[in-house]
Amino acid sequence: MARTLQRRLVDDFDWPLFLVVAVIATVGVMNLYSATSARTGALSELHIQQIYWVAVGAGAATIVASVDYRVYERYAYGAYVATIAALVLVFLLGKSIRGTHRWIQIGSFLFQPSEFMKLSLLLAVSRYVHRLPRSEAWTFRELLAPGALIAVPLGLIMAQPDLGTALIVGLTSASALMLVRIERQTFWAITVGGGISSVLLWEFGMKAYQKERLTAFLSERVDVQGSGWQAHQSMVAIGSGRLVGQGFMQGTQNQHRFLPDTHTDFAFSVWAQEQGFLGSTAVMLLYLFLVLWGLRIASLAKDRFGACVAVGASALFFWQIIFNAGMVTRSLPVVGVTLPFFSYGGSSVLTMMLAVGLLMNVSIRRQAW
Amino acid sequence: MELMPKAGIGDFRERIQWMSLVAVFGLSMLICRLFYVQVIDADRWTEIAENNVLRRVDLPTTRGLIRDVRGRIIATNRPSYTVYVIPGYFRMENFPRLAEYLALNRDERDRLESRIRGAEGPRRYHLLLARADIDREALALVETHRATLPGVRVSAIPVRHYPFGELAAHAIGFLNEVNADDLREHEGRDYRAGERIGRSGIEQAWESILRGRRGWVRVEHDVRGVRSTARDAQSGPGDVRRLEPVPGRDLVLSLDMELMRAVDRVFRNRPSGAAAVVEVQTGRVLALYSKPSIDPNLLISGMPQTLSREIDENPFRPRIDKSIYESYFPGSTFKPFTALAGLEAGVVDQRTMVNCTGRHELGRRVFRCQHVHGPTMFHRALVESCNVYFYQLAEAVTMDRIAQMAYEFGLGRRTGIGINQETPGFIPTRAWYAQHYPGQWRIGHTLNTAIGQGNTRVTVLQLALAYAALANGGTLYVPRIIERVEGPDGDVIERFPPSVRRRVNVHPRFLDMIRGALTGVIADVRGTAHRAMVGEVTVAGKTGTAQVSRIVRNADGLRQVFRSQRDHAWFAGYAPAEAPEIAVVALVEHGGSGGHEAAPLVTAIAREWFTRIRPGDPIPSVEMYRRRNARRGR
Repeated sequence: MARTLQRRLVDDFDWPLFLVVAVIATVGVMNLYSATSARTGALSELHIQQIYWVAVGAGAATIVASVDYRVYERYAYGAYVATIAALVLVFLLGKSIRGTHRWIQIGSFLFQPSEFMKLSLLLAVSRYVHRLPRSEAWTFRELLAPGALIAVPLGLIMAQPDLGTALIVGLTSASALMLVRIERQTFWAITVGGGISSVLLWEFGMKAYQKERLTAFLSERVDVQGSGWQAHQSMVAIGSGRLVGQGFMQGTQNQHRFLPDTHTDFAFSVWAQEQGFLGSTAVMLLYLFLVLWGLRIASLAKDRFGACVAVGASALFFWQIIFNAGMVTRSLPVVGVTLPFFSYGGSSVLTMMLAVGLLMNVSIRRQAW
Repeated sequence: MELMPKAGIGDFRERIQWMSLVAVFGLSMLICRLFYVQVIDADRWTEIAENNVLRRVDLPTTRGLIRDVRGRIIATNRPSYTVYVIPGYFRMENFPRLAEYLALNRDERDRLESRIRGAEGPRRYHLLLARADIDREALALVETHRATLPGVRVSAIPVRHYPFGELAAHAIGFLNEVNADDLREHEGRDYRAGERIGRSGIEQAWESILRGRRGWVRVEHDVRGVRSTARDAQSGPGDVRRLEPVPGRDLVLSLDMELMRAVDRVFRNRPSGAAAVVEVQTGRVLALYSKPSIDPNLLISGMPQTLSREIDENPFRPRIDKSIYESYFPGSTFKPFTALAGLEAGVVDQRTMVNCTGRHELGRRVFRCQHVHGPTMFHRALVESCNVYFYQLAEAVTMDRIAQMAYEFGLGRRTGIGINQETPGFIPTRAWYAQHYPGQWRIGHTLNTAIGQGNTRVTVLQLALAYAALANGGTLYVPRIIERVEGPDGDVIERFPPSVRRRVNVHPRFLDMIRGALTGVIADVRGTAHRAMVGEVTVAGKTGTAQVSRIVRNADGLRQVFRSQRDHAWFAGYAPAEAPEIAVVALVEHGGSGGHEAAPLVTAIAREWFTRIRPGDPIPSVEMYRRRNARRGR
């Protein structure tokens, strides 16, 4: 006990992490201001809401960072079970918006349990990895339990249906699991099995409109008026941003409302049109730094739980960015995935901030006491 | 703190490094993608973005008016009101009301309702056609309740209107929608689907003059197609923001619609026929008449199928322009040209006498005359239309000389009026017979040609111009129906002076002889058209009774078959006989005798012209422009 907790927090505070998140969040709020400037009514005030959420998230992150993460390790399964319960509740008393069941209303706040499942599941999987101190390659037997941990919430979220969030939840925890060495045979078995079940799901489990949405980005001749409208207008926005952009608040695609969902899924398209290739690349580099820094924190963690959580948090950012930016540049199908700190949304900002808090937590406690 | 398991993270480090590589790779791919979209492919998206926002809105032009020689409006534009619904703003609870105002039937209601409900995405803010060309009552209802009908728009588009209806319809023509062939044919002239194009007559021939040119203006729009005020579009240097429309030019015709009306009146009891009135000294066409006709206002927006079928089945063929598109045997109206050929060839002169016994034998065939004229001289032969005289004359003149004379007067050749498809008619020659009936040449062919039968075919307008040439001393004019082209402000852009086609190569003395005889046709007591004589004006001319070889087959009723087989009645002439001003030709299809049926029409037309129509004060031009401008809303 060489130093007090207070001193530790101050001395080992992870300034690069803090700064990169602060910059991204600031740019995100600014962009949101522009993105909603063409809207009227409540929508035009969204950037204020977002500032509140960033502040609330920062506070939550501070608390999360302060408590030793081993406490989370201890209560990981409890949190997991509680979030599963919330997911079940969504079906029982959830609010239906556009035919999907994703939200629970608490007061005036729409709470989205699937967002928090991203972290709950990560903690549970990390705990499992932590508690199984087996350094030789894992086989099916060891993978069975984490597999089940992932499968249950994945099924629940896909039933909402919310393909995008399910994808992120699954990929985040699967990425964390990739830390452990898996027996080659098992690895290939899972890969092949996953491939076959994907094909089966495609053939029998999906409706035509879902398939169409997933493949729309592949075809050159897009139905611009119909299913390809969003992605097309996004491409128009990004492409017409050219090298240096049309200038803050000047993006025509947003100002003339050709872009849909500028405050959530397509916030980056507004940025890309107004700031051009230079601006969008700058943001991508900031994100890359965030992800790499997260992975660095993981490699410096003092135990397996910390490393696992840090890898998971970094993976969470990585996949959100890949799918959102991939979607708006028509490189990937349009699945509703938010861009961290760019997209409006309380649950989303809170989740991302909590992930930052976890990273900070692991970073501060990287040296043995 | 409880004791942590002792496993370190050493074995994790390598995989974390691999993950870092994956992260770098993934985000690099995104940056590459952005580079491609924003730098390499930027032009394409920039253009789309501009087109998204800046839209070219058409500025319509007005089609030029067509007026007659006195400024009476023959073709104009009236506003047609069309109702649109914008589903995004429309409230379905208003639908029954709207349907009622527009008087939609059940079928139309259902279709419109499902179209409104079916509009999705950005299509919700597009105009959806509810009903085109609504009547005044519906317009009044919609306009009155406009405030309570959000999402309903009424737009006025100009539609061609022909105040005179079916009068002169063949010459004026009509418009209808462009089809795929037109779009291909007129590529580069900016025709659009749904636009109307001149389909026949003057409307077709003068399309490029009448049409004008559409303009456009670039305006900013948002996704709903609403003119946006969010951002003023800045126009850079050389950035053309607006192209002014050019209004179509007006045409002033030589036709006199009052004369047309008079012609129509004299044809009152004749179901089918044609007439032409041309100015002897200029070739201007004062009237060009074909009966029956079709109201072009019905043809513009597509007529009911029953009416269309009725028109198609009408035995008098309303669609055919009988003044220039159809050719007929000229009958005896051809005789002056046969006579001229004889005079020029020197085979006859004023005193050549033929004894008409009512028949002329040629081998085993007998050619008949209407009467037994007895000993007949040149003048009487024309006045009383003695066939036998002309048979004998023809034998001496030969067919080719007759044909040559007919060509001199423009018969069997297109007149060059420049509207519709003009038929040339036909004047046979020996060479033609040799080619088409090899080895069957008979002198009888010449005899038939001499009296305007056989294979001789002319049009009404050709005959009018030929008689004008007889009357004016041998000048054949190009018929002229367009007097001048005027700009929208009444300034004359182009004037069309008389155009001489040919000076006929005939001795003036011979023309005098012919004119004397033509005067006698009406003036002489024994003239074939003497009964048609009117007191007010002297008319000279020649009757014709053309045998109809074609039998119109019609299943219902003998009467029509009988009528169809009756001869066509002709009269071709000019007036006043002593100082000719107009040439008039009338053809009554299946009318019978030319002297009885056609000549009175011509003399009546001449009387109308000289006593009533021509002396009428011309409408003062200032007054004319004021009225026209008032109509255009200036």
